[in-house]
Amino acid sequence: MRRITLWFLSTSTALVLLFSYHTSTAGAGGSAAPVVAVSGASSGTDNGAGSGTDSDSGSRTSGSDSSSASSQTYDGDAVQTRWGPVQVQITVEGGQIRVADVLQVPMANHHDQQINSRAVPILNAEAVDAQSADIDMVSGATDTSEGYLSSLQSAIDKAGL
Amino acid sequence: MTTADLTPAGPMDAPAHPRPAAYPLAPAGTVPSWWRDASATALWAVLLWVTALWVQGGGLAELGSLAGLLTSTGRLTGLVASALLLVQVLLMARVPWLEQAWGQDGLARLHRTVGFTSFNLMWAHIVLIALGYAAASPQGLWGTIVDLVLEYPGMLLAVAGTAALCLVVVTSVKRARARLRYESWHLIHLYGYLGAGLALPHQLWTGQEFLTSTLATVFWWGLYAVAAGAVLGWRVGLPLWRSLRSPLVVSGVRPEGPGATTVTVSGPGVARMRVQAGQFFVWRFLDGPGWTRGHPYSVSAAPDGRSLRLTAAHRGDGSARLAALRPGTRVLVEGPYGRLHPGVRSRRKVLLLGAGIGIVPLRALLEALPQQPGDVTIVQRAGSREQLHLAEETSALAAARGARHVVVEGHRLVTRRSWLPAQAAHLMDEQALRELVPDVADHDVFLCGAPDWMDAARDAALACGVPAERIHLERFAY
Repeated sequence: MRRITLWFLSTSTALVLLFSYHTSTAGAGGSAAPVVAVSGASSGTDNGAGSGTDSDSGSRTSGSDSSSASSQTYDGDAVQTRWGPVQVQITVEGGQIRVADVLQVPMANHHDQQINSRAVPILNAEAVDAQSADIDMVSGATDTSEGYLSSLQSAIDKAGL
Repeated sequence: MTTADLTPAGPMDAPAHPRPAAYPLAPAGTVPSWWRDASATALWAVLLWVTALWVQGGGLAELGSLAGLLTSTGRLTGLVASALLLVQVLLMARVPWLEQAWGQDGLARLHRTVGFTSFNLMWAHIVLIALGYAAASPQGLWGTIVDLVLEYPGMLLAVAGTAALCLVVVTSVKRARARLRYESWHLIHLYGYLGAGLALPHQLWTGQEFLTSTLATVFWWGLYAVAAGAVLGWRVGLPLWRSLRSPLVVSGVRPEGPGATTVTVSGPGVARMRVQAGQFFVWRFLDGPGWTRGHPYSVSAAPDGRSLRLTAAHRGDGSARLAALRPGTRVLVEGPYGRLHPGVRSRRKVLLLGAGIGIVPLRALLEALPQQPGDVTIVQRAGSREQLHLAEETSALAAARGARHVVVEGHRLVTRRSWLPAQAAHLMDEQALRELVPDVADHDVFLCGAPDWMDAARDAALACGVPAERIHLERFAY
């Protein structure tokens, strides 16, 4: 067999195998399953200034009771970050924040999933510890942290704490 | 200095000099000076756009933290490296305006510089991104790298693309290139296209500037499309179409002295070619195995619309095969290329200075340049009698047109870089030039010969006061 035939077959083999791999045709969706619930809204917006800005879309005031009669959930404003909206929900019982979690966080691509699946549990825990929005940002997740803080503050304001 | 002045007794005696016969092709195509500016501006605009894209994506804002700094500069280097890669493809696409503005040799040297720059930036991109992602994640460097390669969209393709580009660059380093057969080297070099193509998915699917902006994505696709279109159109399609539509065949072969051969090529395709005296083609003679390698040879006579004539010295690498060509052999040509033609002339007086086989395009220019008696001087430098190619033709042409033909024969001076022979060691380069042509500063100077000799001749011309833009040369080895 001539050498050029060998080259051609080797290159074709490499290309076929490469394109059979799942990340080679998946598009921007990524593959890892998000750890936190609810995938974020579209991240196809044009870049703005970078930091989160408050927006009033989609904020619901609390009203839904959870298990215990005295606990109430409050949803903060959905704060727009560069990669998508962040919206925090707190569960308040007896004047204390018992649980903090996110309703929306950017999860549309693998990089966001990686970063936020690590950052969100840390922020949630810190919010409960600090009982306020005066918490540290998570390094490497600056945009998410900023959005989280704003949304958390608005939730706290709504709860009247 | 020993010169053999081969012009007959004075131009005063000669009768009215006939102007060169007008050939039925397009008139001398002047190269507008703004083409160079336009192409340089286009390059600058592309690089500016990708940088602006980075800034707009928050690139500057992220420089505050370590992870942000690494990732952000990593993205910038990636953008610039990729833009330069597309520029690389465009440089070699044989785009007519680029070729006429810069010359094939100029483009090839730029291709080398841009290529190595793009490669280095690509590696900077890889290292910075890996470190930046690792700094922002708990996985550590190795875990990040594995995650990047296996899980991020398009990244495995990008790794393969990097491997292809490494192969291309490693084989293009001068030492490696010298050890490879030309065909092998060229084939490996084509993997550059593969590398550029395999990098595209990860840019669009993982590159943050593109994930967040449809406009940017559209522009990026546009750039890729322009590069691909240029290659498919001008590099592949046009020569193929021309060769198939109007086949050319060898119609005559004759030896031109001991070390050179003249080949005449004719066919219906010749009339359609807009070739000018002094230009060259890349020739492929279908005379057996090895025909795929093309050689650049200049046209040695002014084009007359009926046939093309080339003269080449036997320098190994296929030129010796020319002597054994049989009439009737099919010929494939790419071109015409070259900036050594009447269209770049800007002065009435012209100096044609050639060494060895470099006299070939200059002899064609002598025939085709519109001139009055005394306007043109052709100086032929040769190491020995055997290298005085086309000397009789040249002196006959010079006599007919009232041009001056001067022969400077002798082995080259080795004690310093010079265009002069050893016998003229007592003269400085520019002294000798001024003696030969006292008003050389008013001339357009056309140079052709070995690269080192041309550099020396060019320096001599500059020292005599010829402005750089009036010195025209073409390199065939780079």
